[in-house]
Amino acid sequence: MASTGSGEVAKQMAGRKLPWSEIIAFVAIAGIVLAGVLAGVLAGASPQGILTNVGFYASIAVIFAVLALGFNLQWGYTGLFNAGIAGFYLIGAYTMAIAITAPAPPIVIGGIPVYPGHLGGYSLPLAVGAILAMFASGAAAAIIALPALRLRADYLAIATLAFASILQIFANNLQSVTGGAIGITGIPKPIEFVSADAPFLNASTIVGIGSAILLVLILLLQFMAESPWGRVLRAVREDEEATMALGKNTFNYKLQAFALGGALMGLAGALFAVTLGYVSPSSSFAPTVTFSVWVMVIVGGSGNNRGAIVGAFLIYGMEWLSVQLKDLVPQNPLVLPPDLQGFATFIVLIGVVVTLTGLLYIVTGWGLLKLRMWAWWLTVIASIVSIVSQLTQFAVVPAYGFPYLIVLPISLLVYFRWVRPTFMQARAVSASSSNESLPPGPPSFPKRTPSMTPRRPVGVTVLGVLAILFGFLAVPGGLVVLAAFGFIVRDTIFYIRIMIIGVLLILLILHRPEGILREKKRVLG
Amino acid sequence: MESSQKSILSVDGVEKAFGGIHAVDRCTLKVLPHSITGLIGPNGAGKSTLFNIIAGLYRPDGGEIWFDGTRIDGLPPYEIVHLGLTKTWQIPHELRNLTVLENLVLAAKNNSGERLLNLFFRPGQVKRDERQWRARGREVLKLTQLDGLANEHARTLSGGQKKLLELSRALMSDPTLVLLDEPVAGVNPALAGSLMDLIEKLRQNGRTFFLIEHDMNVVMNRCDWVIVMHQGRRIAEGRPETVKADPAVIESYLGG
Repeated sequence: MASTGSGEVAKQMAGRKLPWSEIIAFVAIAGIVLAGVLAGVLAGASPQGILTNVGFYASIAVIFAVLALGFNLQWGYTGLFNAGIAGFYLIGAYTMAIAITAPAPPIVIGGIPVYPGHLGGYSLPLAVGAILAMFASGAAAAIIALPALRLRADYLAIATLAFASILQIFANNLQSVTGGAIGITGIPKPIEFVSADAPFLNASTIVGIGSAILLVLILLLQFMAESPWGRVLRAVREDEEATMALGKNTFNYKLQAFALGGALMGLAGALFAVTLGYVSPSSSFAPTVTFSVWVMVIVGGSGNNRGAIVGAFLIYGMEWLSVQLKDLVPQNPLVLPPDLQGFATFIVLIGVVVTLTGLLYIVTGWGLLKLRMWAWWLTVIASIVSIVSQLTQFAVVPAYGFPYLIVLPISLLVYFRWVRPTFMQARAVSASSSNESLPPGPPSFPKRTPSMTPRRPVGVTVLGVLAILFGFLAVPGGLVVLAAFGFIVRDTIFYIRIMIIGVLLILLILHRPEGILREKKRVLG
Repeated sequence: MESSQKSILSVDGVEKAFGGIHAVDRCTLKVLPHSITGLIGPNGAGKSTLFNIIAGLYRPDGGEIWFDGTRIDGLPPYEIVHLGLTKTWQIPHELRNLTVLENLVLAAKNNSGERLLNLFFRPGQVKRDERQWRARGREVLKLTQLDGLANEHARTLSGGQKKLLELSRALMSDPTLVLLDEPVAGVNPALAGSLMDLIEKLRQNGRTFFLIEHDMNVVMNRCDWVIVMHQGRRIAEGRPETVKADPAVIESYLGG
């Protein structure tokens, strides 16, 4: 009886609903690629050039996807925060480069060292190099994790962050091993083409190999993560102490997940070395790589492998697209003196900040009207943003900073008079109601966090409406500034990219803190 | 219930201090096999701390703990579980984003699929074990009347249902001794009654229960031995009716 009942529930849950999240994610990625192609067409690139470019997108996105899969295994499944993704990536890339290149002795011309050479040059096959890269990064992850995992969770983040920074410094300075600032060049391609089509053929091979590896990884990780083993990882993420009390040696599981995640990052590094043909301690291994991967996993949806991959293709896609669009933006037709160029950049930045702030105000106002708990925190953030931008703007356009001066005291007044008491009362109510004892009965499905109380104080209404009004004033204002000054600044597209990604992140985190693709419920048969 | 009988759990002079507070202060007690032993005492007496020490979650500052002929103080919690001692939490530690059945299957002992290499080299064994543990999980859920919720997220359960989930998980690994930290707090009276009936039945099957409880009905009617703790020490023990009449217990706990 009961089992058929739960079977029915499962059937209802599976439903006949279309997988909208997946469809939206797929359309978004396809849209990014199409927009990039269109930009290429408009810029007058050759068909083969455009395809090579798309191939470049695909090959780098695959690398990020592998990084994201590794981080998802550590963070999404096991709850281990890795702040040194770039470091494991670097180890993989350098190991691969050292393993598969030909020997490179130092070059000295006329007594002056031109190239310091680098370790090895063992001319090993690519596959062996990739396996070595995985081993090196995995071992590094295990060595760091051994002491750090025994401590509180934050120590792991600190240790990995330091590790990544140290590695970048090593890569730069340990010349005899890494080739110093020049790095390691002449990394062989999987197949050496000599025809005129070489760039295109190279890109195609890399994409093919990368996709095949990614596919195998997806299948493998899906199998592992959805097994009883993966279930223990998720249990550790939820509550390590409880998992230990259930008889699991949680340390072992954390170590395995962290080392395997590190090995995946090493594989990504190996792919990167082959894709680019050289490695150097450049921005490729800077902390920004780590941050990008965090964003990819969080936006895509942590705790499920689809989410990590979708996140990688989406976020890297935005970056790639913005580079494609950059060629379309008419280059500065006026030759501005450097100081004027700087001034114009400053104005553009203000446009970005004002637009973002305006959007934040609209969202905050809506949340306040709906009496959502997060709305207050957004008010605080908006106030901080407004203070900062106010200070910068008074220097240039005093009138623009003026509205903030009015909004800030009003919001503080309203907070202490109405908002805080309302939320405190609501919190007390919800705390007392969660303790009540209920007999086992039919399950309830809370759709989202219930709003606080049905009654909304006047002050909150006023603040919410004001915030929305102000937002609707600020957004067009900021956009007008952008439109007016954007074209004279070369890097406008870069700022706009940051803005768009910022807006997407804010909206996403508000609406779906769990990311685009949710972690699915595992219904056991 | 004479002290000459061989005990299944013996706590001997166990100490634990948090800063300057002696939560457990040279506490000595014994739990006899196949008994339902109650542990009572005022709030802050050190009962939950003692349970956490026995289960291996806290390391004692001194003293010895013996379970079934093995010295267990200092052992990690997962090894103690494998010896046959499980505990439930006073505040439910449900794994929120896992389903109820997943919560239970996780309590399985020696589930071969939980070892990474077995997934690749012994897939048949993994499949068999998993099927068997799922079936066992459903059985236990039927006992605790949670079977209708098997595939719901644990976070959607009510407070009382989470208590039941705790008990179900503890029963999964077929333990010889179960430490229950306030098993019926927050559970409605009818369900609390059937829960205690269940515990009584399981005791007759050979298990031992050691439980902290503030519900005097449960303690007086269901326990066959009661230990009273106060300020980290055992101040009295005996049959429920004896303990009830003990002046020290009345003063510190039951009240005039």
